[in-house]
Amino acid sequence: METLTLLSWAFDVTLGLTLMWLAWRALASEDLFKGIVLFIAFGLLMALAWVRLDAPDIALAEAAIGAGLTGALLLGALAKLEAGAESRSRRSEILPRPADKTKVFSGLLVFLLLALVVMLVYAIVKLPPLASGLSAQVAENITASGVSNPVTATLLNFRAYDTLLEMAVLLLAVLGIRSLAVVQEPRGREPGAVLDMLSHLLVPLLILVSGYLLWVGSYAAGGAFQAGAVLAATGVLLLLTGWLPGAWFVGWPLRFLLIFGLAVFVAVTLVLQLFGASFLEFPPSLAGSLILLIEVAAALSIGVTLTALFLGGRPQPEPPSSGRAEKRNTSGTQPS
Amino acid sequence: MLAQSFSWQVTVIILPLVAALLCFMLPKWGRWLGLVMAFAITGSVIVLAYQVMNQGALRYAVGGWGAPLGIDLYVDGLSLLMLMVVALVGLVVSVYSMAYFKAGKAVHFWPLWMLLWTAMNALFLSADIFNLYVTLELLGLAAVALVALAGGVDALGAAMRYLLVSLLGSLCYLLGVALLYHSFGTVDIALLAERVESTPAVWAAMALMTVGLLFKTALFPLHFWLPPAHASAPAPVSALLSALVVKASFYILLRLWLEVFSQDSTAAAQLLGVLGAAAVLWGGVQALRQTRLKMLIAYSTVSQIGYLFLVFPLASLMAWQAGLYLLLSHALAKAAMFLAAGNILCFGGHDRIADLDRVAQRLPLSLTAFALAGVSSMGLPFSGGFIGKWMLLDAALQSGQWWWVAVIIVGGLLAAAYIFNVIGHSFTRAEISHEAKPVPAIMEWSALVLALAAVLMGLFASWPLAVMDIGAPFGGGGS
Repeated sequence: METLTLLSWAFDVTLGLTLMWLAWRALASEDLFKGIVLFIAFGLLMALAWVRLDAPDIALAEAAIGAGLTGALLLGALAKLEAGAESRSRRSEILPRPADKTKVFSGLLVFLLLALVVMLVYAIVKLPPLASGLSAQVAENITASGVSNPVTATLLNFRAYDTLLEMAVLLLAVLGIRSLAVVQEPRGREPGAVLDMLSHLLVPLLILVSGYLLWVGSYAAGGAFQAGAVLAATGVLLLLTGWLPGAWFVGWPLRFLLIFGLAVFVAVTLVLQLFGASFLEFPPSLAGSLILLIEVAAALSIGVTLTALFLGGRPQPEPPSSGRAEKRNTSGTQPS
Repeated sequence: MLAQSFSWQVTVIILPLVAALLCFMLPKWGRWLGLVMAFAITGSVIVLAYQVMNQGALRYAVGGWGAPLGIDLYVDGLSLLMLMVVALVGLVVSVYSMAYFKAGKAVHFWPLWMLLWTAMNALFLSADIFNLYVTLELLGLAAVALVALAGGVDALGAAMRYLLVSLLGSLCYLLGVALLYHSFGTVDIALLAERVESTPAVWAAMALMTVGLLFKTALFPLHFWLPPAHASAPAPVSALLSALVVKASFYILLRLWLEVFSQDSTAAAQLLGVLGAAAVLWGGVQALRQTRLKMLIAYSTVSQIGYLFLVFPLASLMAWQAGLYLLLSHALAKAAMFLAAGNILCFGGHDRIADLDRVAQRLPLSLTAFALAGVSSMGLPFSGGFIGKWMLLDAALQSGQWWWVAVIIVGGLLAAAYIFNVIGHSFTRAEISHEAKPVPAIMEWSALVLALAAVLMGLFASWPLAVMDIGAPFGGGGS
């Protein structure tokens, strides 16, 4: 027992130090590509840290979104930067050199950050023992929530209003990106043989995993966000192999899928209100099914939204290679 | 029972959200849908106001759980006035936008603007500090996307900086939320107010949340992102951001200081007051130095935000009321100014102050709007700004802190100087004449309506002051 505690303590310290070192290296790296790879490694270790903190739900989300999808987004952005100008991957050529004035400024910044660290450390050392929090209340009401996983109960029932607004945040992100740019020349390149074969294997598997995560969310770690993120990974993989959404798809069907989760969420609560429920109140007997319904819609929308973020702009209604895209479409992330 | 489960508070949040989804799904109908929904939202805010004035402050448990397990919505006089000013400015800006945006931009503007409205209504109704964080994120992202809508290098750069500042502010705020939740086991403001004690964690939370919100409110010296962002956005967006969005984070700060951090804040309140005074003066001087009209108005916002922070060291009932009064009249006046500037920009194709070229004769309604809004910003009698400043002066003298009086007077003089600078140039003939484009009448009248509202706030002061007392939001602040 003693050695086990010591071992896990040593593990935690190593993990914490490695995280800080990775964060520093990712920020300080001259080479942007290297910085991104370090950032992805940071995300994976961060997921491990969440596991150590007994938060497997967050660990899953961190691994899928923090490391996976954000990494893909950053690499995609870097590729666009490099396409804009020859070999501009060096940070020093993109960012201006710090002048003397900014050196004074960064000195001040370091001072302020140190003050912040001192303040936080002092506050945390002096923290009272954990206030009971709300876990007891969550446990008391969990049977009325319709699910047995306390995280899902909190996200989709007790604090469903937060989740509703968060889905609006996600929609907003994609709206913002769509307002900025049209995808000029979609990545219609031919994949290599390995990627092509791998995608054939991985895509069905990923869709299966996503469905599993969605289902398991009602009683264990998992849920709509994790399932949506895996679905998005599928979408990104397909985009990388040269798949493009068909011309018929990028108009209202795509917009519909983007708002689908939010629309179902709002529709369910409005219908229930007609029958006398409060805003976002689910009758205990129906709560389980309603939460699953909302989660399925949400996962689908989250998957499509995150894939659309990777696409980086609104696709034109008529891409140049629409014939091939439609053919490829059948294996895509489309709902059936 | 319908009376139990149905609430106009929810309607006020859900309507703009549904509007956003509809505008996005049906882009061809977006403008008309948006306009109809803007009237519907304003209507439901009026019904809610009627309800609150008859029944007093209302609390609503979302999902029927109730705090601390669930999230509560809460509306009192303070939130109601914020909702109403958002509805008034929002409705007029919606009408203005019908004429302002071309079809290509309108497709993106309407869903974003409706989500911004959702965020603000949700924010002013929330009684939960974590839920407030979510509304802040919604608000910040919508605001950034709207700035970027202008396109071009300036707007995109400004939007990017705004995004980074906004995220930094949100993260500071969130860290504070975590500390408070850990310490007291709740994120409901009313419960926190009961349980809060003076511990290092609370000081840290106070510092973090205040700094985070100051970033978003753009108080000097954290204002650096505001002038480029507000000046390079499309005119209706500038109006929304300067009039409403910066006030939203100020509202959260006000709530937290009134309820949660009210006990150990004396020294910090003095600091906020000093920063506010610096903002009044710095913003005023910078506004005087600008050569572009929209930059001038943006720096004027930096200056006017400063006044709102002068109330923290005074902390009397009258000071809080004065602050809120200034906030409301500035919202109306600043929206009117940016809409008028948008008209001038649309008319002459530029907003260089020196080349305004007889705008007074050629665009009289817009210039009247600008001048009337200016009257309120300077605090000339009998505008809304006058009442607010008068009460603030009175509160400063009553508490014996006379030095704030000097700041208020100098700030007013600076405002007069930069406003008359613009008005003066608008009567003279520029050296090079410009081709002028006609400005739709509806855009001119929109600016004028808001400016008139800002002035009328000075003539009908008793009504807003009575509404402010509903639920006694400033009850704990008696000196």
